Amino acid sequence: MFVSRSMTRKVVTVSPDISLSEVQERMKTHNIRHLPVVANDDRLVGIVTDRDIRSAMPLPLIKGQDDPESLQRFARLTVADVMTPDPMTISPAHTLQDALLLIQEKRVGAFPVVDQNGKLTGIISVRDLLRAFINVLGIGQPGTLLCILVEEKVGQMKRIVDAITEEGISCGSILVARYWEKDKRAVFPYLLTNNVIRIKQRLRDAGFTLLDPMQWYLDQLPKNE
Amino acid sequence: MRRTGFLYDQQYLLHDTGPYHPERAERLMAIHQGLKRTGLLPQLISVPARRAELRWIRTTHSDAYIRRFEERCLAGHRTLDCEDNQMCPETWEAALMAAGGVMEAARMLMAGEIDNAFCAVRPPGHHAENGEAMGFCYFNNVAIAARYLQQELGIERVGIIDFDVHHGNGTQHSFEEDPTVFYYSIHQHPSFTYPGTGREFETGKGAGRGFTKNSPILPGQSDDVYQLMLEQDLLPAFASFKPQVIIASTGFDAHKDDEMADMRLTDEGYAWIMRTIVAMADRHCEGRLLSVLEGGYALERLPELGAAHVRILLETPSDGAPTIP
Repeated sequence: MFVSRSMTRKVVTVSPDISLSEVQERMKTHNIRHLPVVANDDRLVGIVTDRDIRSAMPLPLIKGQDDPESLQRFARLTVADVMTPDPMTISPAHTLQDALLLIQEKRVGAFPVVDQNGKLTGIISVRDLLRAFINVLGIGQPGTLLCILVEEKVGQMKRIVDAITEEGISCGSILVARYWEKDKRAVFPYLLTNNVIRIKQRLRDAGFTLLDPMQWYLDQLPKNE
Repeated sequence: MRRTGFLYDQQYLLHDTGPYHPERAERLMAIHQGLKRTGLLPQLISVPARRAELRWIRTTHSDAYIRRFEERCLAGHRTLDCEDNQMCPETWEAALMAAGGVMEAARMLMAGEIDNAFCAVRPPGHHAENGEAMGFCYFNNVAIAARYLQQELGIERVGIIDFDVHHGNGTQHSFEEDPTVFYYSIHQHPSFTYPGTGREFETGKGAGRGFTKNSPILPGQSDDVYQLMLEQDLLPAFASFKPQVIIASTGFDAHKDDEMADMRLTDEGYAWIMRTIVAMADRHCEGRLLSVLEGGYALERLPELGAAHVRILLETPSDGAPTIP
């Protein structure tokens, strides 16, 4: 669950004095959007994103117009001119949950990972987190998702898991969605089987409600939206 | 009336999956009963089940997998690769006879002995991967028959239409890099049901890009959505691909009374799908069509579904079967 296990270790970096067109080239080659900027002594001094570069582009260039003056102006810009200096970083000992919450709060797409000596050791992006969560969801393996409505009281999960176990079925994951309905939760077991007729019947017989798949939702929109 | 072949064999009933498994011999017996009760059976041409030679199984499955299946099965192991795949010592022979039976139907089709066929086989095949049994499937009957058509019977382009409620991952993976076999599948959306593949963006790889197409359908949908998607996705794809033979992976588990998934197809919906496939075969390949059974678990519905399916195979345009311009 640590950033060190899910981050990208082979970091593509740039130095502050290179041109923006070179940065664009590097982003394209490696199919990435965030480049940590390091000075000569391997110290992290900033981060440059594809958005920083687009914002720095003169309008005629964005429009694809042939405008030598804008082109020259753009060609003179270096990374140091557009990067975010002293960016937010995260340590390899932080957890994936830290990274998720931070990315949501700071509204950034990636954090450089810097160890206690200030050395850049990796980068963790939304893409890395997605990969980790695809793994957690278990959806790389074949299976069937159910959705069970349960009352919010102790022992419900045990009854579900017992039923699944007694049917000899393995679980790829179990998600619990909160804020569902007052005093209720939605439990989503991802069952690594094609054979769900009996387990569905068994859960119904045990008094659980299986929700119509079209009524499932994992998330509610934030209240202000 | 067309000369419709029917493949069915006692060996398919000997594949015993234990007392509680939905993929059970009663499924085939129900279909057989339905054909008998409705008087359809004497109108069909019997396709004898034959044992597939291993060299044909090898077109689709790895040697290591074939050996492992045979050894484990004959040694009396009850499962292969996953708890889903329950077996008994007769399973190996049943799987060979299922693949070989569909091959025999293909041979008869190309020899002009039959016009089309319904292959009521088990174990089913469309989840079986190159090196792994999955989802009650051991040998991929449809994929093996497609290779047999190509390598022995002079066919270049095979079109596969999979309307089982689950995505046929094994069949897709067999042909996803191959532009000579078009795999089309319509199924319940993989975020809600097994096996979790068959998303819209899976469209083939390398030389086979554009020769795989998936229409995932949200749970609870019915005839109208199937009709819309088949007209929008399948018809134009096959019109430009021009298959020389069509193989249908037929699953009755998208029926509203089938508990395996959450689809709501009615008897009429199934009839419309099959009429459309028959009309496509008439339009593109002189009616050459093999329907091969995959899933379908509502035992009380299978007699009528199977009978209606066969009735449509027997119909010709002069009997009122629809045509596609």
